[in-house]
Amino acid sequence: MKKIVIALAILLLFTAPLIVTAPFFVHLMIMVLMWTVLGASWNILGGFTGQVSFGHATFLGAGAYTTMILYLKLGIAPWYGIPIGGLVAALTALPIGFICFRLRGPYFALSTLAVAEIIRLVALNWESLTNGPVGLLITTLPDVTFGERLIDWESKIPFYYIIAIITLGSIVATHIMSRTRLGAYSLAIREDIDSAEAIGINTVQARVAALSLSAFFAGVAGGFYAMYLRYVDPDAVFSIALSVEMVFIAVVGGLTTVAGPLIGAIILVVFGEIFREIFLVHFKLVGHLIFYGLMMMIVIRYLPEGIWGRLRFRFGSKH
Amino acid sequence: MGLLAVKGLTKYFGGLRAVNNLSFEVQPGEILGLIGPNGAGKTTVFNLIAGFIHPTRGEILLDGENIAGMKPYAVTRKGIARTFQIVKPFRKLSVLENVTLAAFLRFPLRGEAESKARQVLEKMGLGSKISALAVDLTLSEQKRLEIARALATQPKLLLLDEPMGGLNATEIEQASILVRDICKEGVTIIWVEHVLRAIMNSSNRVVVINQGEKIADAPPEQIVENPDVIAAYLGTKKR
Amino acid sequence: METFVQSLVSGILTGSLYAMIGVGLTVIFGVMRIINMAHGDMVMFGMYGAFISITFLKIDPFLSIVIWIPIAFLIGVFIYRFLLKNIVPAGELNTLLYTAGLSLFIANLVLLIATGDYRTIKLKYAIMPLRPFGIAVPIPLAIAFGMAILITVALYWLLVRTDTGRAIRATSQEPEAAALMGVNVDRTTIITFALGTALACAAGVLLAPSLYLYPTVGEILVAKCFVIVVLGGLGSVPGAIAGGLLLGVVESLGAVYISVPYKDAIGFVIFLLVLLFRPSGLFGVGKS
Repeated sequence: MKKIVIALAILLLFTAPLIVTAPFFVHLMIMVLMWTVLGASWNILGGFTGQVSFGHATFLGAGAYTTMILYLKLGIAPWYGIPIGGLVAALTALPIGFICFRLRGPYFALSTLAVAEIIRLVALNWESLTNGPVGLLITTLPDVTFGERLIDWESKIPFYYIIAIITLGSIVATHIMSRTRLGAYSLAIREDIDSAEAIGINTVQARVAALSLSAFFAGVAGGFYAMYLRYVDPDAVFSIALSVEMVFIAVVGGLTTVAGPLIGAIILVVFGEIFREIFLVHFKLVGHLIFYGLMMMIVIRYLPEGIWGRLRFRFGSKH
Repeated sequence: MGLLAVKGLTKYFGGLRAVNNLSFEVQPGEILGLIGPNGAGKTTVFNLIAGFIHPTRGEILLDGENIAGMKPYAVTRKGIARTFQIVKPFRKLSVLENVTLAAFLRFPLRGEAESKARQVLEKMGLGSKISALAVDLTLSEQKRLEIARALATQPKLLLLDEPMGGLNATEIEQASILVRDICKEGVTIIWVEHVLRAIMNSSNRVVVINQGEKIADAPPEQIVENPDVIAAYLGTKKR
Repeated sequence: METFVQSLVSGILTGSLYAMIGVGLTVIFGVMRIINMAHGDMVMFGMYGAFISITFLKIDPFLSIVIWIPIAFLIGVFIYRFLLKNIVPAGELNTLLYTAGLSLFIANLVLLIATGDYRTIKLKYAIMPLRPFGIAVPIPLAIAFGMAILITVALYWLLVRTDTGRAIRATSQEPEAAALMGVNVDRTTIITFALGTALACAAGVLLAPSLYLYPTVGEILVAKCFVIVVLGGLGSVPGAIAGGLLLGVVESLGAVYISVPYKDAIGFVIFLLVLLFRPSGLFGVGKS
C-alpha cells in the first residue's frame, strides 16, 4: 500500500508542471520544493540528533556563493557547481561542528547563530571574493542540450525538474539515514546524550557527521538558489531570518518525519505568498514574517510535534 | 594489580574537594561494594572512572592502562559500562532499540546487534517487553533495562549506581540475585548502594568512603564491626 | 593617545547602556533559566516609545522614561503570564524557539506599522557635543549614561535592600530552597521577567537619541546581549555590567584600530571563545 502511495507521489512530482502550467504556480512549486530540501536538511540535524541550529543559512550561503563564484569566475557550469557547493558546505560543517558541539541545547543554538553572523560579516567585507554587499549576478546560463533540444532557461520548467530531483535526493537520503547506524545513534543522542556516551557512542563524531550531511543538502539547495534566482548577496543568503525560516519549517511541519518538511514548506511558501499579496502596500514585504512568528508560537504551544507529527500520530502511520 | 586500580584519585570542584587521595583495587570476578554516607563522593568516583568528569590528580588503571581523562565513550569501548543513579533510558525508543544501540558497539551490523540485544533482554527478564517504549516501563523494569543496556556493551567491569533505589523488598531480593548472576557470567562489578543489607550480602569486599576519603576496605563481616564506619554512619541502623 | 582615550570614553558610554540591557537579560536568565530571544525587541520598543514621545507627545524622550518604564513592566507581566508561563515547562529549547517566534512577530508587526524607514531623534540641546578635557562627548549619550547609573543604583538598592530583591536573588540561586523558605516563586518570577523587560525598554528610551531607529534593531541587540551576558556570567548582575562596559569598549576600540565593518564580528568571536573556554564567564561566576 505504502509503495503505491510513494509511486504516485513521485509520479505527481514529475508530472506536476505539465498539469499546472501557469508560470506563477510553477514558481510556487519550485519554492516549495526548495524549502522542502532546506527543511529536510535542517531535519537531518535537528530532527534526528535534537540539536537546534539557528545558523543553517551558513551552509545555504556557502553553497550559493560556491556555485556563483565557480560559474562567474571559472566558467564551471552550475550543474557541476551545485554538488560542489554542497561539498563545500559539508566541509565547512566540520570545523563548525567541532567547535559548536562542545555546547549543548540553547547554547549550541546561540553559537550557531554567532557563527552564521560572523560568516555573514566576512562575506560582506571580503569584497575580492564575494563582491561584498553588491552581490553576484548571473546574466546568462550556459547553452546545454537535453536530448536534442536546447534547454530554455527563460522557462521555469527546467528549474522545476532540477529541484525535483534534488528534493527526491534529500528525501531518499533522510530515509537511508534513518536505516543506518548513524541514524540510530542520532536518535539516541536526541533522547539522552549522556546515556549515548555511556554506551560507547562517540557523540561528537556522530553529530558532526549528521551536521555535514545536513550541510550538504543545505549547500545544494543554496547552489540551486543561486542558479534559479541568479543573484546572491550576503544579506540574502546568510541572514538570520533565513535560518529561522528553516527552523520554522521543521518545527511547524514536524521533526523526524519525512513528510514534515514538505508540509512545513508548503505552509511557509503558500502563506508567505498570500501575506505578501495582502501586505503589498508597504515596500518591505514582511507580512509573512509576522505570520511565521505567530505560527511558530502557536505550534510550540499546542502542537510541539509539528503539524504533520500530530496528524501522523492520529493516523498511526510511521512516516 | 587487579582489573581496576584507582591510585591517589583526587577531584576538586573549584575550592570543594570532593574526592581526596582515594586508592583501591578491584580483582577480576569480584563484586566490590562502595558505600558511605550521603555526599561522601560515591557517584563522583563513578563519574571519574567512567570518564564523565576528569580527575584533578591520580590515576585510574584498567588492566594496567591509565584511562583517567578519557571521554566516556572511549572508556566504554575499553570495557567499563555504567548505570545511572536516576535511570536515563532512551525514553521514546523501544526497549529493544535501547539495548540494540548499545550492542552496536561490539556488533556493528544491525542483525547481529539485535540478536545480542534480545539475548541480554531475555536474561534480564524483559523478553516480553521488547516492543514497549522505555518510558512505559515500571521503575524496576527500567532499572533492568539500564543494566541490560550496559551489559550489551560486553563490559569487563560494570559500575552499578544505586540499582536498588526505589524498589520494594521483593524487587530488591530479585535484583540481588541478578547482580550475583551477572558476576557469575564473568563481569566484575563495583556497586554503590544505600540498601546496606543487599550490598553486604552480595559483595566480596566493601570500600567505605566518607567525605571523599577511604575509611575502610575489607570483607563485609569486618566492615560492620569497624568503629570508623559506624561513626561515619552515626545512627544508621543495619536494615 | 587622544584617539585612544576618545574611543575608550565612547565605549564606556555606549557600554553602560549595553550593560543595562544585559542586566535585564541576565536577571531573567538567573531566575527563569530561559533565554529570551525577544529581549532585543523590548529595547526596540523603548526606542520607538521615545520617538513617539518627542514626535507626537512633545515630551523630551529622557523625561518620557517615567511613562515607558511602567508600561514596559506591565507588558512584561502580560507576556510572562499569558504567553511564556505555559512554555517554560516544555524546556529550554522550546522556550528559545518560542521566544524566537515572538521576536519575529513583534519586530515585523512594528515594521508593518512603522515602516522600515530609519528614524532619528534630534534634540535641540544636543547639537554640539560637550568637550571635557578635549574629549568629545555627545550630550544625549552623556545624559543616557547618567540616567543609566541612576537606574543601576536603584536596581542595586532593589536587589539588596528590599524583600522583593532578596526573593529574586534567592530564587536565582536555589529555587527550591527559596520556595521552602516561603518565597512566592511564581510571583517572583513574574516580577523578575517584568523587571528585565522594563530595564530593556528603559535602555531603549535612553539609547534612542543616539542611534538610528528601525524595527529589526532588536536582532542585533539581542545577539550582542548574549555576548554580554555570557561574558559576564549567566545570571550575574555585576557580571553583566562589566560585560556590557567591556563590549562597548572593545567595539569602540575595534572600530578605530581594526576596522569598522568587522567590529560587530569581534563581539561574536569573543562570544564563541568564552562559551568554549570559560562558559561560566570571564569572572567565573556564571551558572551553566
